[in-house]
Amino acid sequence: MPTRISRRRWLTTSVPALGGLLLTGCSRETFVPPRVRGGLIGAADVLTMSTNRLLLSGQQLAREYSRSDVADPFPTWNQTNPRNAEYQRHASEGFRNWRLPISGLVQRPRDLSLDEIRRLPPRTQITAHICEQGWSAIGEWTGAPLQRLIEEAGGVTPAARYVVIDTFDGWYEGYDLFEVAHAQTILAYGLNGRDLPRGNGAPLRLRVERQCGYKNLKFLKSIRVVDSMADIGRGTGGINSDFGFHWFAGV
Amino acid sequence: MGVDSLSMSEARHPAAETSSARPSSAAHSYNVRICHWINLVSCVYLLWSGVHIFLDFPELYWGHTGYRGYPAAFRLADWGLSWEEAGALGDRRWGRNYHFTAAWVFLINGLVYVVWNLYSSHFRNRMWPARDERTVAHVRAELRDHLRWRSSRHANGSYGTLQKTSYLILIFVFVPLMILTGIAQSPGFTAAMPALLDMFGGRQTARTLHTIGTVVLVLFVVVHVLEVAAAGFFVKVRSMITGK
Repeated sequence: MPTRISRRRWLTTSVPALGGLLLTGCSRETFVPPRVRGGLIGAADVLTMSTNRLLLSGQQLAREYSRSDVADPFPTWNQTNPRNAEYQRHASEGFRNWRLPISGLVQRPRDLSLDEIRRLPPRTQITAHICEQGWSAIGEWTGAPLQRLIEEAGGVTPAARYVVIDTFDGWYEGYDLFEVAHAQTILAYGLNGRDLPRGNGAPLRLRVERQCGYKNLKFLKSIRVVDSMADIGRGTGGINSDFGFHWFAGV
Repeated sequence: MGVDSLSMSEARHPAAETSSARPSSAAHSYNVRICHWINLVSCVYLLWSGVHIFLDFPELYWGHTGYRGYPAAFRLADWGLSWEEAGALGDRRWGRNYHFTAAWVFLINGLVYVVWNLYSSHFRNRMWPARDERTVAHVRAELRDHLRWRSSRHANGSYGTLQKTSYLILIFVFVPLMILTGIAQSPGFTAAMPALLDMFGGRQTARTLHTIGTVVLVLFVVVHVLEVAAAGFFVKVRSMITGK
């Protein structure tokens, strides 16, 4: 008999607590991918993402390592030098004329030069880059928080749901505002105490430390804030999910 | 004791298994039967998708760091399958989608099985070795039967001590370790639970242990199927389907 009572008490306290968590500033995008796939795979996507987001509702930081753990030189993978003519011109000019537009659902759309981004309060973090293929390496990343950059454009409008990043090698990927607000979500211009090498995504790459490597886009070209991912690419939320990978890459 | 174990091994002869006079307590419950087959399907998917994921990056490392060119603990290339050949066989997109889908089916099914059978006292009544089964002489007699290729089923249809022990270790030690070494590779879960990284000494160690665990699990299944075959494959499979 006592176990029945304690079980009921457990339910009556935990269910409202869970409900409270769901309501505190978190919306559907926090728990569900922009487009849910069909069948069991789609159900598993939602379970994986909502479990991760519930566990991470405190916006905990990913593990930060010490300098002695750093891989230097840091391994390069996939694209290391986009053939895009615009990119090659910027690279040959040392990215002096490269500017990052921040457009869409922000109060004051604008663009920022690399120097302007460097002048924002920087954050340095020694974290593991975790490739979905299985490899991982630790790097010391220095950059400006993505949230801070969006504030430079006046912050998002109430309709904003996702931040879309486009790159010079043709990648595009969406991030919900929960991911954007995280302290370790930075646009890195430095790696291991030096300028970000071209092979690792110069002039600027994204760090989302709680997701796999393929969400950490390199060679940034522009930032857009949108209310829906439906009209971008094939509408699944990014290039990786357009190709059938998980949109939420927390596992 | 010697006489006792002799008479028991006589009763355990496969021919005795066809007896329809077995007590109904030996029948598998609905829960055990349904969970067993869902578990089989999810494990086949987990294994096959896991192999695909591994083939796409066929090296293993110890510690927090591991990438192509970093000192490896295991390289498939050393065993005759080059990186390119392995990559052509593997498909991590298919593999990841099915691995994590099957993992959820496996986890939910496993939780239903464990909670249900804790509640119904299945574990206590049928899987916890009784006092007289926990003796050295009893285990020795069972081992002798195994080596002589005789069924380990007792006359009344209950599990043997070795069988009970291996099931309990599998369910309550080994499977949790497989789940933990799995999520210790995840950037999301390790951000929420950094202790996972310290528990195994790094993400790459977790990946290596997860792979070794897979090999051990496959060996467990091989032994399990051989034991079923020794006890009469058709009868045993039918009993896991119909409960009779």
